[in-house]
This record gives sequence, structure tokens and C-alpha cells, in this order.
Amino acid sequence: MLGRNGSGKSTLARVIAGLQKPDSGRVRIAGVDVARDRRGALEAVGILFQNPDHQIIFPTVREELAFGLSQSGLTKPQVAQRVARTLAHFGKTDWADAAVHQLSQGQRQLVCLMAILAMQPEVIVLDEPFAGLDIPTAMHLTRVLDAAEAALVHITHDPRTVMGYDHALWIEAGAVVEQGAAPQVAQAYEAAMREVGARDDLADIAG
Amino acid sequence: MERNVAQIAVFTALIAALGLIPQLTLAFGVPITAQSLGVMLCGTVLGARRGAIAALLFVGLVAIGLPLLSGGRGGLGQFMVPTSGFLIGFPVAAFVTGLVMERLRGLPVGWAAGIAAGIGGIVVLYAFGISGLAIALDRPVTEAALLVTAFLPGDGIKAVLAGLVTAALYRARPLSVMSRP
Amino acid sequence: MISLTSPVRTRAHGWPAGVKLAGLCLASVALFAVTDVWLMATVAGAVLLLYALPGRVFLRYGVRRLWPLWPFVAVIVLWHLATGAAQDGLLIALRMIAAVALANLVTMTTTLEAMMGVVRGLLRPLRRFGINLRAMELAVAMVIRFTPVLAQKGAALSLAWRARARRRPGWRVVVPLLVLALDDADHVAEALRARGGLRDVEGK
Repeated sequence: MLGRNGSGKSTLARVIAGLQKPDSGRVRIAGVDVARDRRGALEAVGILFQNPDHQIIFPTVREELAFGLSQSGLTKPQVAQRVARTLAHFGKTDWADAAVHQLSQGQRQLVCLMAILAMQPEVIVLDEPFAGLDIPTAMHLTRVLDAAEAALVHITHDPRTVMGYDHALWIEAGAVVEQGAAPQVAQAYEAAMREVGARDDLADIAG
Repeated sequence: MERNVAQIAVFTALIAALGLIPQLTLAFGVPITAQSLGVMLCGTVLGARRGAIAALLFVGLVAIGLPLLSGGRGGLGQFMVPTSGFLIGFPVAAFVTGLVMERLRGLPVGWAAGIAAGIGGIVVLYAFGISGLAIALDRPVTEAALLVTAFLPGDGIKAVLAGLVTAALYRARPLSVMSRP
Repeated sequence: MISLTSPVRTRAHGWPAGVKLAGLCLASVALFAVTDVWLMATVAGAVLLLYALPGRVFLRYGVRRLWPLWPFVAVIVLWHLATGAAQDGLLIALRMIAAVALANLVTMTTTLEAMMGVVRGLLRPLRRFGINLRAMELAVAMVIRFTPVLAQKGAALSLAWRARARRRPGWRVVVPLLVLALDDADHVAEALRARGGLRDVEGK
């Protein structure tokens, strides 16, 4: 999903994750009404936010990964097993007892991602997850995401990141402007954005 | 010096922010406002002197007309309502909390913080609050005390939480707990 | 963050804050000297009139801000009815309402700037005892800046919690918020130092 800051794409991300109720209509992901059936929603959708510091609640990696799992009703041995398996899958078993605040931004974002993948959702919503990450780190996380079994919904303002996706939507002022094959939509979006950028855009304060 | 002032200001903002966040269900499904937890944390984390200044700054800002009390309340009227004793008691509560915290440095952080929060955030704060109520409602102190008993369990939980939160902060960032240099 | 000053302009908006505050102190003391219920009722009515003068919006807002007092009014009236001192109860209730209403009136007709001016004036003689006025002013600005920021971060953390758990956020969400707050303090302190620091530079 492509769009400028303030276009409504983050709101859409939250609606898809079931964190915000739509004013009208229903949102079904993998058959689950995500706003109403929170239990089913947790198994169907995961969401990765932009800033890992606004997501990570626990001080160690192990506790952060275990959180969603223990909340979904697994027993303690089951949780421990899942955490260990997730860490091993990423080759980060030695991170288990690491303190989060000693990790870099990219490493923290990976912890957030692992915490979501441990819950094995069908769909993962990514709300501008690469903002502020350097190129190698963004590439690494992209590879991790590609390898994940879930369907990815990537919210971004950067057209370059949507190239590998099956379908793209261009959102503006809360409405879909165009949708279709990613390369075409990205091209149209970029052209329009450059045109806006050539004019004086910062003059108006929102609202 | 700048760090001191910035930390005090940020804790004042934290007290206000904790009043703005929609009620956290802190324990056993009991929804309680987290604002007085902020006052306790001023004492357990910043210590007596800085914690008291942060709480005093909070009271001062409410007085000059900022809607910092939970529910967006504020202004001079808050010093005339029957519960004004609690508001006026914030700085003293933070100070005593910090004082007890500093005295109990032999105990593990969580226990010290919990006890300090109980003495400062409940005993001292309620002393101010109940006195204020008694004066405003023109009733003897014992009757005023009866009125507030309903809030004791919630605040008791908050003192325990202050202990847990301070201990968690100490584990994550030992240097930031000022009351334990 | 919006202050509680009323956007409805009244004549009182132009009066010096110090005068209004002094007047409030005197009026509050005077209120406690009134012992006759009818006199108190008249006073309360006069205060209500003051609210009505600037118009309906002002009056409605003022009354709304008095509404949270109703449990206390109920307690006072019921208690005094039960002990056969109904008139005393009414006196106390009316006094409370009048006192709160007057104080709110001052808040509603005085800007933050004006209040800060009074505080500055009161604290200036204390500078000899080490009170750093510039630090205080910056601290006030920082609180106003950071309260919405921390509230937003708290909301973001609560959202991240709800994305992985059905129960509403528990106490654990306060810990990362505290850490973020302390980090913000460090960043601001650094920025302050880079721009001159907090030396009290109020001209002598």
C-alpha cells in the first residue's frame, strides 16, 4: 500500500489488524472478523510497526518473544519450545537472554518480527518497518520477510519497496486512487509524487 | 544540571501522560487510573528531592491552568474541591516515597520501592487527602476516612506495581534509578 | 496542549492576573466568613450571574465544569439531613460550589502567559536562594512539550500490546514508557547544552 504520510494508510493497517473498528462494514482476514473476534484475529494477523522502541515491552528477547504466545493460551513448556524454535530458525539462539536495549535498531526490529512470526499468523501487516534502517539492514529484513510463510501487507511511502509484491494500492486521503500490478501502480504513484514535490507543498498545515 | 531539569520535567510529563492514557487494567481486571502511580514513581526513581520537585511542578502547572489531572481537569478550581488535599499532597508524597526509598537501600529494589510507595503514596498522601476532605465537608476525620476506604485496594495495588515497575526499570537500566546511586 | 483559558473573551481577560488572584484569595476568605444560608445563596447566585454575563457558551462550559461536584453535594446534604442540620449542610454545599466556581472563573479568564508572569514575579525575590528562573521556565515548556509525546508513546505501546494479547494492557507497559521518557530527557538535555545551557541569564 503506497501513500503519502497522512494518506490514511496507517489507519488502514490498524483496521486490517483489527486494532481499530471500521465505521461501517466488516474486515475479514482468513475468514476471521478481526475487529470483533480478537482471539481469532491474533492467530490470523500480526502487525509490525515502524519504531521498535514503541513496540517492545519486555527487557529481554526471550520474554518479548514469549509474550504473545503465553497470551494465546499455550502452556509454559509449549511457549518455551516455540520461542526456542523461532530463535533457532533465525540462527539467533544466543539472543535468548540478551537485553533489548543493547541491540541496534535493526536488531530490535528483527526481535519484533520474530515475536510476530512466533505466533505464526497467516497475514503480516508491515507499517513502514524499514524507516530509519540502513540499506544492508533493510535488505536483511526483506530477506527474512520473503522467507516467511505469511502473506505480507506492506504499508510504505517509498515506491521502490513494493516491486516484489503481487498487488499494489495507492491510497490518498483515505481512498484508493489506483490499484493493480505493483510496477505500474508504483510508477504512476512516483510520477504523481514528484509532480507534487516540484510545487511548494509544506506551505499548508494539515487541518 | 540540564539532565536534572530535563528528567524532572519528563517525570512531570509522565504523571500527566499516565492520566491521559485510557484506564489501564493494572491488575485483576480492576481498571484504575495510573496517575498516582506516576507520583510514586517520581519518588522511587528520582529520589526524594528531585521527585518532590517533579510533583511540585505538576501541581504548579495544574494551578496555572493546564488540564493535567486525569480526565483533563485542571485550574485553580482543583484546589477548592473537596479532594484538593490529595493534589496538594502529591509533592510531599513523592518526597517521603523518595526518602524511604533512599533509606531502604539494603533491601532489593522492588521491595524498597513497594514499601516506599506504600508509605509515601498511601499513608502520607491519604493523610493529606483525608484532612482536606474533612475540612471541606465539615466532618470529623474519621468519617472522611470512611469515604475514601473504597479507593484503598486500588491504591494498594498501585504501590505494589510501583515496586514491580521500579524493579523492572532497575533490571533494564540500573543507572537510571537515581534513588540507588 | 490546550490550556483551560476560555476562548470566549470577557472583560476579565484583560485584567492583570495578579489582581484577579489576590481578589480570589480575598473572596475565598470572605466566603468562609459567611454564616447565613440566605446570604450564601445570594453570593452563589451572584457568581452564577458572573458566568452568565459573557454569554450562553461561557455559562454552559462553566456549569459543566462544576458538575463533578455533585457527589460531594449529595454527601454533604444527606449527611447533614441525617443529623438534623440541613441548613448547615446547604451552607457548606453552596460555599463549596461558590468557591470552586470563582476559582474556575479566574482560570477561565486568565492566559497561561499571564499566570507565568505572576509566578515569575513571585519567585524573582527567591533567586538569592538559588532558584533558577530560566531553568523553571524551560522546565514548564518541556512538560508542555513532552506530555502529549509520552501519551502518544503510551498509546503506541498499548496498541502493540493489544496486537498480541486479548486482555487490556497491564502494568508492564509502563516500564518501556519510563525508559522512553528517560531517553527523551537525555536527548533534550543534550540539545539544551548545545544551545547554551541553563545558566540563569535574567538581566540584573
